[in-house]
Amino acid sequence: MLTKGTKFWLALCLAAMVAAAFAGYTTGGDETGPLTLGWKGAVGNHIVYGTLMMMSAATGLLAMLASAFRDADADAVAQLLETEDAPDAQIKTGPSVWPVIGAAGFAVMMLGLVLHPAVFVAGLLIVVAMGIEWTMTNWSEKLTGDPVRNREMRENLLRPIEIPLLSLVGIGVLVLAVSRILLASSVNGAVIVATVVGVGIFALAFFVSTRPTLPRALLQGVLALGFVAIIVGGIVAAANGEREFHQKGGTSNDTLVETDH
Amino acid sequence: MSENTTVIERAVTTTDPALLSRYWIGAAGLGLFLSIGVGFLAALERLDLSTASIFDGADVIFQLWSAHRVGLVLLAVLPLILGLATAVVPRQVGASSLVFPRMAAAGFWVWLFGAAITVTGFAVDGGVGAPGATSQTQAVAITLVGIMMVLLGIGATTICVLTTVVAGRSSGMSLGDVPAFSWSMLVAGTMWMLTLPVLMGNLLLVYVDLRGRSAVRFGAEEAIWEQLSWAFTNPQVYLWALPLLGIVADIIPVSVKAKLNTNRMFGAICLLGFVGFGAYAQTYFDLGTPVRQEAFSVVAAFVAVLAMLMALGALAGSLRNGAKETDASSATPLVLAMLSLLLLLVGTVVGALNAVESLDLAGTSAIGAQMIFTLAAMLVGMVAGLSWWGDLVAGRATPQRPLLITGLLLTLGLGLVGVADLINGFNGLNDFTGAVLSEAGNSGSAVDTLNLIVVIGLGMALVGALNGMISGCQHLRSSEPAVANPWGGTTLEWSDNEGSA
Repeated sequence: MLTKGTKFWLALCLAAMVAAAFAGYTTGGDETGPLTLGWKGAVGNHIVYGTLMMMSAATGLLAMLASAFRDADADAVAQLLETEDAPDAQIKTGPSVWPVIGAAGFAVMMLGLVLHPAVFVAGLLIVVAMGIEWTMTNWSEKLTGDPVRNREMRENLLRPIEIPLLSLVGIGVLVLAVSRILLASSVNGAVIVATVVGVGIFALAFFVSTRPTLPRALLQGVLALGFVAIIVGGIVAAANGEREFHQKGGTSNDTLVETDH
Repeated sequence: MSENTTVIERAVTTTDPALLSRYWIGAAGLGLFLSIGVGFLAALERLDLSTASIFDGADVIFQLWSAHRVGLVLLAVLPLILGLATAVVPRQVGASSLVFPRMAAAGFWVWLFGAAITVTGFAVDGGVGAPGATSQTQAVAITLVGIMMVLLGIGATTICVLTTVVAGRSSGMSLGDVPAFSWSMLVAGTMWMLTLPVLMGNLLLVYVDLRGRSAVRFGAEEAIWEQLSWAFTNPQVYLWALPLLGIVADIIPVSVKAKLNTNRMFGAICLLGFVGFGAYAQTYFDLGTPVRQEAFSVVAAFVAVLAMLMALGALAGSLRNGAKETDASSATPLVLAMLSLLLLLVGTVVGALNAVESLDLAGTSAIGAQMIFTLAAMLVGMVAGLSWWGDLVAGRATPQRPLLITGLLLTLGLGLVGVADLINGFNGLNDFTGAVLSEAGNSGSAVDTLNLIVVIGLGMALVGALNGMISGCQHLRSSEPAVANPWGGTTLEWSDNEGSA
């Protein structure tokens, strides 16, 4: 008997096929073209016909999968595994920092496509690192039945690599973002920005050092906000472009002279 | 994660569907406010098209106009749906969480970063207009990669929701037994996964054209919006609003204590989903007859009305059988569900009118009216859904009155915009009025008055969105515990709500 899912996707598959043929015949296809996928004759509007046929193929595949796996019904899975009770629908998954880091790395990578190859490579490295970390986390979660022991084993293996690597990446991203801001500012503006930011960081560090009982969440929040602000500032500055640099004398060996916009 | 984690650590590492759902809905609320806001600014400019003095020319108006459409769909409507689905679908099918919870978390974060990049791209003179006039190539490219990330995030989360419906169901629940909202997400998710990659392909084509060397150009650089516009017009907009039918099919029968003809309702959802497939309607590739005037498009536009009537028939049966026992406490979701259905019906009718060649509405603001009616239907339906499932999403009792006000303001405001744009369309006003400003407006005619109505309507919708955001924040700060089963529902999501706060 066909399952509900099979019927649903099969209906979509057939409907898309009929729609493709109808669209083919009504958009200039000849007698046999729409029926032979264009092998014997024209199919009419290629975009309409091709898109609908691809939809038909995709939903046909889904229908076959649904049929083969009996809509993934828990009872059918139990029968397949030859167990009396249906298996748990899902294994409990704990929190993980890698989705957000991976997304951030992916964002850097995509921005790098537009801004600079170095940014792209930096993003790619973050995504690759995230992939490794995510895989190792999943691996460690299945080592023993004790989550604490699993975490310890994972940390023993990866912490010596993670900490220096993350520090390098963080510094690199910050340097890049701040440099974009400074390059986009006017000559005097860059000096003012650098001074204000430098003094601000120094003052914040001084303030924190005098208050060792400051809540960890507050400190993390301030740092995260500052980091995001610098990244956003860097992106906006990069999109606006650098200030003009004029060459004195007009030859490549001459000294660069910076001017405001 | 150890026990002594901070709030921030928990916030960024969560894979809890309820929390992710709140993230989606909160961020989408902000996206909705921004989208309606830029639409409001563009509408202000339409008040005096002869000078276009506020925003310095047609290109800037186009950026606002296109940002309004892109934002409404990708930064507001779809994230709102996914937010609700993330919290409700696992519970409806009896799963302990979404399938692939970490992927769901990654989907949200990718979408969020993508949304930030998209907004930044629009803000720094990018957008989806042809670069060169006033926009910069690099900024346009930033917008494009931002939209690509948004699509990836939406796609990843959609896969999680789809897989949860297919493979996360509890023992004894067949696919035909899932509640209507989960079924609508199965159909909508399938169709999204068939169309979003096509939109991604369009974006890649444009991006390569924009940034690639001349040898690999496809001639799309000057027609970015033309490549993407199919995703924001008839029939694709029906897919963005498809889960609405599932939401109302869960609300109405329980509210009136009557059974639903599920076969007819599920069939209507499938039919609207099928005719909503809009990836073929790529006007950019038109060679002869415009694709929207081809027989297939016209038939699909009319079948959409039939699908809506089929759905209304199924729901009317429930209302007829159970109207005497209607519970007054469910007035807010019930009223909003009815209003959203009405808006969607109007949207499908306007879509059918747009397909009638003799009415000559192609390229007029009637196209925008159809989009607004359809998306407004989904937005009001979402407010109804939040009013219905708010206790599950927030873990606290849902205040109904602010949601009712939000829903009514959105209905009235966006309804006014739709009606004014439709009449303007019959008057021959262009869909995008920025191309030739001096020819776009009919100064001194009724168009001016109708444009003023559009401004008022968008203003009301803006207030509605703001009210929704404020009431959402108040809801999350409320200490009133969630009610286990406030409506007397019989589906699985109501069986384990106690203690969810």
